[in-house]
Amino acid sequence: MDLLLQLFVNGVINGAHYALLGVGFGLIFATTRIVHFAYGPVFTFAAYVAWGVSGGLGLPIWLGLIAAIACAVGLGLLSYLALYRPLEVNRAPPLAPLIASLGLYIVLENLVGILFGTGVRVVDLDYGIYFLGPVFFTSIHLWQVGSFVILAGGLALFLRRTRYGKAILAMTDDPDMARIIGIDTFKITLLVFAIGSMLSAVPATLILLKDGASTHMGFAAVFMGFVAVIVGGVGSLRGAAAGGMLLGLVESLGLWQIPTEWQQSIAFVVLYAMILIRPEGLFSMARR
Amino acid sequence: MTAILETRALVSGYGKKRAVHGVDLALNAGEILLVLGHNGAGKTTLMSTIFGLIRPMEGQVLLEGADISGRTPAANVADGIAYVPQGHGIFKTLTVRDNLELGAFSETDAARTRERLEQVFSLFPILKERAGQVAGTFSGGQQQMLAIGMALMHGPRVLILDEPSIGLAPNLVERVMEAIKTINRDLGASILMVEQNVKLSLPVADRAMVIKTGAVVYEGAPEPLNDHVRLMTLF
Repeated sequence: MDLLLQLFVNGVINGAHYALLGVGFGLIFATTRIVHFAYGPVFTFAAYVAWGVSGGLGLPIWLGLIAAIACAVGLGLLSYLALYRPLEVNRAPPLAPLIASLGLYIVLENLVGILFGTGVRVVDLDYGIYFLGPVFFTSIHLWQVGSFVILAGGLALFLRRTRYGKAILAMTDDPDMARIIGIDTFKITLLVFAIGSMLSAVPATLILLKDGASTHMGFAAVFMGFVAVIVGGVGSLRGAAAGGMLLGLVESLGLWQIPTEWQQSIAFVVLYAMILIRPEGLFSMARR
Repeated sequence: MTAILETRALVSGYGKKRAVHGVDLALNAGEILLVLGHNGAGKTTLMSTIFGLIRPMEGQVLLEGADISGRTPAANVADGIAYVPQGHGIFKTLTVRDNLELGAFSETDAARTRERLEQVFSLFPILKERAGQVAGTFSGGQQQMLAIGMALMHGPRVLILDEPSIGLAPNLVERVMEAIKTINRDLGASILMVEQNVKLSLPVADRAMVIKTGAVVYEGAPEPLNDHVRLMTLF
């Protein structure tokens, strides 16, 4: 029973991490219809920049986080302006941005290796360790859950309450109609790339503190974000959050009965099962 | 009468394919101009080009004499042109109130937005009753009312309507046509309306034109088009 409780808590922690990635990746996907796979190496870049500032230069971790956010936002905007935008302007077929995104993925990931080396980078940080009865967790785990609650909640408020937030929802619903009522969809696209990329920098920094940064860490990030979006229902950010949480819980609770070496396959099983049973996802657009 | 909106020898289409071949159109200030034509006549392409969704290949679009050819929809909306696309131009996943507020996206004066919201609510009381309902759950007629309501939210001088009657039952079409007449008369919007429902749209029109394969084949008073035989030869 103690083990199950611990696995549940681990599931919530990982779920919050996946959910945040799902929301960030899903925001870009839902609003622009661009499958931004390069979200993965943007995440990696952010982690390495945070390491550079806090581990390399020895500055406080909050400065590392700010640098990571700035880097992610910059790379996100650059991805759109330099790569996806020209394809859009030239009316490229829908597969072109997808292929371009995979290309960018490879370029950015290799760039990380060239700039920062291919070894694992860690930041020495004293963090709190807590026991709640039989359950163990650290202050970084708390931050993973807390950052999800704060950022996803803040994003929800922004989308529901502000003019630009509603413009994002409008563009998610129908981009042509958004243009017709006078929304500048180019500006909104830049805005969602900025917000979505910013959202990747926070979990990236936390993973740096928890496990260290490695060149290929972006794959798990974008893959889990992608699965969270598909499981949750394309177009629904609430769905992406729920999908990420579900993924974390299934992955962790699965270990109760399944050997640990199978843990990584669980996401694939969840994805496969979802596509089979409910291809529209937990929350389809109409249910949002 | 002076023209508020004009096209001069407008040529437009998709890719290399031309759908509009040199159309001259003039919408006079304060009138309802009806544009008739069968499916594929180029009506929607013409409206989309006027509104800036498609760039013209040749020719000009003028608003009060100033060239606005190829200008973005956002700029046109800010300048007082509203467009209601064919097939209920609304955001289906958002509430009626959200839709209407988004209609006023380019309006920065909150008091004016509230005033217009009341105008729309008095024109279509059903929208007020169901302001919190998700728009996608509305019937076709209600969605069309919402679409027109959204277009009114930034107080347009020119309202372009692309087949507002499409998919609606005849009694609803009459209701929508009445609303269009009211918008023209009481809110002072000049209206450019594309239709296929000749019978129900002709009575509200001040002038009419018929387009066939991308070119104007009739322009003038709407009454002669009531003559079925004449209309059939034009179509």
